Amino acid sequence: MDNRDIKQFKNVWVFAEQRNGILTPVVIELLGEGRKLANEIGVELCAILGGYNVDGLADELIRFGADKVYYANNELLKNYTTDGYTKIIIEAVEEFKPEIILIGATHIGRDLAPRVASNLNTGLTADCTKLEIDPEDKKLKQTRPAFGGNIMATIVCPERRPQMSTVRPGVMDKAVEDADHKGEIIKLNTKLTKSDIRTEVVEIVKTKKDLISLTDAEFIISGGLGIKNADGFKLLQKLADRLGGTIGASRAAVDAGWIDHSRQVGQTGTTVKPKVYVACGISGAIQHLAGMQNSDIIIAINTNENAPIFEVADYGIVGDVYDVVPKLIELLDDDKRLVDLFNSNRIDVSQLQ
Amino acid sequence: MIFKKEHELLRKTVRDFVEREMATYPDEVDEVGSLPKEVIAKLVKHKFISTIIPKEYGGAGADYVSYTIVMEEISRRCASTGTYITAASSLVALPLVNFGTKEQKEKYLRPLAEGKYIGCFGLTEPGAGSDAGAGQTIAIDKGDYYELNGRKCFITNAPICDFAIISAMTDKSKGTKGISTFIVESKWEGFSHGAHENKMGIRGTETSDIILENVRVPKENLLGKVGQGFKIMLNTLDYGRIGVAAQALGVAQGALDEAIKYVKERVQFNKPLAKFQNTQFTIADMATKVQAARLLVYDAAEKKDNGQVPGLESAMAKYYAAEIANEVAYKALQLHGGYGFIKDYPIERIYRDARILSIYEGTSQVQQMVIAGHVIK
Ligand SMILES: Cc1cc2nc3c(=O)[nH]c(=O)nc-3n(C[C@H](O)[C@H](O)[C@H](O)COP(=O)(O)OP(=O)(O)OC[C@H]3O[C@@H](n4cnc5c(N)ncnc54)[C@H](O)[C@@H]3O)c2cc1C
Ligand SMILES: Cc1cc2nc3c(=O)[nH]c(=O)nc-3n(C[C@H](O)[C@H](O)[C@H](O)COP(=O)(O)OP(=O)(O)OC[C@H]3O[C@@H](n4cnc5c(N)ncnc54)[C@H](O)[C@@H]3O)c2cc1C
Repeated sequence: MDNRDIKQFKNVWVFAEQRNGILTPVVIELLGEGRKLANEIGVELCAILGGYNVDGLADELIRFGADKVYYANNELLKNYTTDGYTKIIIEAVEEFKPEIILIGATHIGRDLAPRVASNLNTGLTADCTKLEIDPEDKKLKQTRPAFGGNIMATIVCPERRPQMSTVRPGVMDKAVEDADHKGEIIKLNTKLTKSDIRTEVVEIVKTKKDLISLTDAEFIISGGLGIKNADGFKLLQKLADRLGGTIGASRAAVDAGWIDHSRQVGQTGTTVKPKVYVACGISGAIQHLAGMQNSDIIIAINTNENAPIFEVADYGIVGDVYDVVPKLIELLDDDKRLVDLFNSNRIDVSQLQ
Repeated sequence: MIFKKEHELLRKTVRDFVEREMATYPDEVDEVGSLPKEVIAKLVKHKFISTIIPKEYGGAGADYVSYTIVMEEISRRCASTGTYITAASSLVALPLVNFGTKEQKEKYLRPLAEGKYIGCFGLTEPGAGSDAGAGQTIAIDKGDYYELNGRKCFITNAPICDFAIISAMTDKSKGTKGISTFIVESKWEGFSHGAHENKMGIRGTETSDIILENVRVPKENLLGKVGQGFKIMLNTLDYGRIGVAAQALGVAQGALDEAIKYVKERVQFNKPLAKFQNTQFTIADMATKVQAARLLVYDAAEKKDNGQVPGLESAMAKYYAAEIANEVAYKALQLHGGYGFIKDYPIERIYRDARILSIYEGTSQVQQMVIAGHVIK
């Protein structure tokens, strides 16, 4: 395959990552974004799906907008392996020649995409947050944050195909489900054999994520003196569990003996920079702010509307922690939307009501 | 500087007290982290804690020179005890003496002088140190009482206090003219304190946050007038500074004492260190600076006793004495060599204790600002 003959390449592909027969949420986002790109270039939107007896997923992909689903059904694809999935994708690319491949920047996606790209000898942009089609030559303009988010780089792959991107989960709009959308399922007959796969999955362990360290956590729910007692942290832990985050604390809460010093956020504790920092009953002394003010989003819950924490908060809720936090958990329990809100970096507290 | 007979007598009394009661005690309080109750009781009995509180309210009714003597001599042995005395007798007593009503003086100043109450002075906040006007603590007028909310930090004696002098914002729109001062009892609901800070020096004093959560303060506990708070607090610091300056002088003298004693005993190259010219010159420098500080400090105290306002002199005295206390302690430790680095010798503690002097009751930089404000017109 000569991947420099770019005219031979057509269509936008989305890698349909699945775990245990369930599509990863980012796939629906990729289909939403892929649909826009495909329409702009005037080509079809396709998905590539691997797995073992996951036929239902192919239909789901079509309902979410795929015109074609390339489906490799093989026992060897039951669990993700780098070798197995790389091979089926390369085989399919050589046969069907897509011009764009989008892959979610999950742990699996970040492992798979560079392997595929180097095998195909093409370009890959990792962790994109914005994709556009250049109106002049229809090439894909891939934008991603670099240098710790301080620079936005727009990258083009001019001469080789497919153009590959991994896309950050949570930034693209989801595709809308449409039961009437029609599409075609194309079975792939892979030459994959056991000997192609050099790794063997022995066991997949699901940890309850209580071991997340403060510096790694994407969501930190922090409690201060305003939570009144050590039990307050159990409530915050519930919210943290719901979001896959962890709990932090102010020094006052540590001094009160409610929680260990290792949880202290601030000048003399840990400096954190999560996606979302929820300050519950924390006044916002400068010594605390020094440790968390660079969080992407700060949500403050405090009964005192004049508390200095509101000066750094992106979203402020004036109210009692014991009213607001259970309400948030309730909303999270019965409304998946809230998870999406949190995930999407766009939280509008009015939507909590 | 020629002292009056009564001042010389007082100095002798304090020195005897220090010899008798405080021989080994500074190292103990440094270890334990608090002052023993018996010693506090004795400080009360001798009225060292109430030098400048008028006699009619149970104090010694003495002048500022006397207060300075007490501070110098006590701090010369133990800086923690010096801090305890300034916190109680000047920072807390002064605003009550100068701005309190008769009832307030009866209710708070007298028990303070008599050692029945321990007081503290709550101005500093996590976000408002040198910039004392930036406090966030608020007091809302609820008709019968004020409701206070906020957090003070680094408050000497907070964990053991019976009442606190607290500054709080009564009218945010007026800036520092919207601050008022209150007498707040620690037993009232909503008053609590934070953990005892683990400090480098003056470890014998207890320092912590004060937390005020919906504390109801009766109207009669407003000190001075509404909006006068900032003036009250700054006025208190202007005079209170003389106390810290005297403390710094005492610490510097104490360090010099240790150095002189040690260089006469320690032999190297077959001679006591005191025989080396370098040692002599170093000691000469130290002694000269200590004496210069002494003159500045007593000058400020005398001016105050003569009815003048020693804002400039007290700032100069505090600034200079605090800085040279650090310098003298440093040099004294150097003269001890490796032994000075070991806790068995008092200079190690003195060196740590000295460090706070150029920070609290206005940092050296704040003193420079005050001095420049007076000098550059
Ligand atoms: C040497 C030193 C180092 C320090 N380092 C740190 C540090 O690393 N990290 C740190 O955090 N601090 C540090 N501090 C302490 C800092 O100055 C503050 O004292 C501390 O951050 C205050 O904690 P807080 O906000 O939990 O408590 P507070 O200031 O008491 O605030 C409690 C807040 O809870 C609100 N509240 C009360 N009830 C409720 C309710 N039911 N629902 C909602 N809100 C409510 C109140 O309105 C208030 O705003 C340090 C201090 C010192 C002296
Ligand atoms: C052991 C201890 C006991 C204390 N006891 C009490 C007490 O009983 N009651 C009470 O109210 N407070 C008390 N304090 C607080 C003390 O008065 C403050 O720590 C002090 O005023 C300095 O404030 P800060 O720590 O916030 O430092 P900051 O104001 O943050 O100063 C930090 C540095 O910046 C410098 N700086 C600040 N502003 C300027 C400027 N404009 N120009 C040049 N330099 C500047 C300072 O000089 C300093 O070097 C105590 C503190 C300690 C450590």
